[in-house]
Amino acid sequence: MTSWAPVEYTDVAELRGPLIVVRGVRGVGWDEYASIELETGQRRHGLVLEADRDLAVVQVFEGTAGLRAEGTRVTFAGCPLRIPVGAGWQGRVCDGRGRPLDGGPPVFGTADAAVTGFPLNPTRREPPSEPVLTGVSAIDALTTLVRGQKIAVFSSGGLPHLELAAQIAAQANTGGTPFSVVFAAIGLTHADAATVRDTLEERSAAGELTLFLNLADDPVIERVLTPRLALTVAEHLAFVLGRHVLVVLADMTSYCEALREVSSARGEIPARRAYPGYLYSDLASLYERCGRVPGLPGSVTVLPVLTMPAGDITHPVPDLTGYITEGQILLTRDVPVYPHIDPLSSLSRMMRAGVGPGRTRPEHMDLAAQILAALARARQAAELAEIVGEGALGDTDRRYLAMADAFTRRLLAQRRDEARSLDETFARAWQVVSVLPRRELSMLSPAALDAGYREET
Amino acid sequence: MTGVRDALAPVSGALLRRARLDADAMIAAAEHDAAQTLAVARRAAQDMIDEAREAGTSEARARADAVRVRAGRRARDIELAARREVVLELRRRAVAAVLALRDDPCYPRLVERLRELARESGGDDLIVSEHPDGGVVGVGRGRRVDCSLGALAGRAVDALGAEAERLWAR
Repeated sequence: MTSWAPVEYTDVAELRGPLIVVRGVRGVGWDEYASIELETGQRRHGLVLEADRDLAVVQVFEGTAGLRAEGTRVTFAGCPLRIPVGAGWQGRVCDGRGRPLDGGPPVFGTADAAVTGFPLNPTRREPPSEPVLTGVSAIDALTTLVRGQKIAVFSSGGLPHLELAAQIAAQANTGGTPFSVVFAAIGLTHADAATVRDTLEERSAAGELTLFLNLADDPVIERVLTPRLALTVAEHLAFVLGRHVLVVLADMTSYCEALREVSSARGEIPARRAYPGYLYSDLASLYERCGRVPGLPGSVTVLPVLTMPAGDITHPVPDLTGYITEGQILLTRDVPVYPHIDPLSSLSRMMRAGVGPGRTRPEHMDLAAQILAALARARQAAELAEIVGEGALGDTDRRYLAMADAFTRRLLAQRRDEARSLDETFARAWQVVSVLPRRELSMLSPAALDAGYREET
Repeated sequence: MTGVRDALAPVSGALLRRARLDADAMIAAAEHDAAQTLAVARRAAQDMIDEAREAGTSEARARADAVRVRAGRRARDIELAARREVVLELRRRAVAAVLALRDDPCYPRLVERLRELARESGGDDLIVSEHPDGGVVGVGRGRRVDCSLGALAGRAVDALGAEAERLWAR
């Protein structure tokens, strides 16, 4: 609601780093949004980090450079940051706080919502079902995304997780039903941001994408807000406008580092690796905002992307994320071709709810299980071959090795601009299992084998 | 000597035949090898041509896509800039219209109402004075309430929300 006569506080007691201490305030609360006007008329924004009696500590997004205690006026919004919500976000490119970067007017909305939001009420949550097709064979075939699910991409520095996230965001669809993507780029370099923007240009022009770009040199406090803005916009698109929404949050490790910095500025007691003790519940407050609501047509699917510092999967960020999300897609250098997905370490726990007759293909679950079982056997055969040499392996083991090779070349390897239909993915998956003798395919029904199996000679 | 040669003739004949047969076999093997090498080379050449063609096609497609994407982005940029300009114009006109209220016979009543509004918000101890551009500004200890006409017009435009989109809605 518009306040026609907001109070501006002019008694700035202290300026310290990115913080302003304002004296004489009344009724100001924790996390409240603030607007700071300089003598020059320039306007900056901030968040209340701490409020104690008549003192409020405000962290300024843009920093305090050029600010003087005299002449600075601080206005408090009376509530945490709220943003307009509505269809107007679609097709827009904004910074991490929702201000336009595309040269357009500010984004308008039919309503407004607090960005802090709330996870769905567990008693009003419908289990995820129906797939989100990404056009990436390794994901659609083996770790299918399900509408309303949260599934993370775990990666290491130097791997193309951002390209994969952008490719998924550019290609994903729900087979004809209204679909939107909200992409929150968190702590990206300018070059990475440009790549993401180029990849997503077409979807943006089609009015199906909202892109939030928080760059590496943007304020950390803004980085803490960016995923919340994305989820707030997504919730309205899904549960009011009835669209299926995929929210891509990349890179969540940058988010956690920003959270650590803000926590340290607030003087909180650090926990594991100096991250705040509430990192787990904070991450859950983001990831749990996905889901489906009974009686409403839309869904929010969350795909957080995170890099594991030094490839360490026990690092607090991947560790805690893994507890919350319903599966993970693991990228590894051991797989030499793009998209570098390790099929045996990747898992979609909700897959069963999203695949099968009427959704993807009747044999989908069995075929995926068969491929994974065969890849596990091929891995054992490869380990054996390292000791005794491939020539000493039996014929069946050699067929398993050939199958693993076919999997990598025909199903997994994919160009960065290549969107594969479900039909093509399944054709390739059948080619892969057809490298094995039919007698080895015990997880597939005879009817499915009759329809899909074509033994290679 | 002749006798010896004659005596060895069958042996030398046999050796010669064997040598010829061996030579024929070697020639045949060499021809076969050459044919195979040629076939492999042809296949490799064909593969290279196919790969080059595919690479060329995909590069051409990528370039065409890039041009299309750039053109699309330019068009979208122009549209968004035009919308922004329209919103700024709306703001300018709103401010001008509100500033014109100074000449309205009801203006003194409006100023009185704005004084009340400023005190309601900032406290009764505010010292409220008229703003040079119209409206009032209240100043107190560590507090200030801006109810100037320009600021009020800005707030009114901000409050429009999605209404503003009607400016360009088809």
